[in-house]
Amino acid sequence: MFGAFRATNALSGGLLWKTPWRLSKFQKARQRERLRGVDAVVATLDKALAKKGETLKALEVWKDTMPTEAEMLPKDKYTMFDRKEKRYRKGIHKLPKWTRVSQRLNPPGY
Amino acid sequence: MSFFRIQLQRSAIGLPKRTRGVLMALGLRKRSQTVFHPVEAQFAGMILKVKELVSVQEVDRALDSKELRAERSPEPGFFIEKAVPR
Repeated sequence: MFGAFRATNALSGGLLWKTPWRLSKFQKARQRERLRGVDAVVATLDKALAKKGETLKALEVWKDTMPTEAEMLPKDKYTMFDRKEKRYRKGIHKLPKWTRVSQRLNPPGY
Repeated sequence: MSFFRIQLQRSAIGLPKRTRGVLMALGLRKRSQTVFHPVEAQFAGMILKVKELVSVQEVDRALDSKELRAERSPEPGFFIEKAVPR
């Protein structure tokens, strides 16, 4: 049970990586920063095109559907929907490449 | 005529081929590289595809590579009061 030859997960199974179930406060702060960065890019594009009097459908769709960082609930900033998970939520850091993709919307009611 | 000043902040390693293709089309090959493109819906759409990876500013004119380099280089730390004839 104790000592050098105890059967822990790491010793009996070899490689064991542990991913925490939630983000740390620093990860959350950086996540908010990234969300604001994307908002800033969208705002810059919108302002520049509006000055020229041009419109872009993809930009309009983004502005209509996607909430900004300030409008998002903490729940949606740091967690995402997953049908296999207990209570249907998992940390957003489980999403592959989560720091470089946008994941803002979740099914209504979850 | 105004331009988008686009800088690649995050690498596209491991991202889909489409995303990397958009970066190639914008002329962004490595991180913190800066490119200029005119303010047009076409370029705005391309930037929108890679909005998580870049930072964008609207500027009045496109800088060339020499000007960009001058922007990066620090102050010399001295100034010449009077040039000595040699």
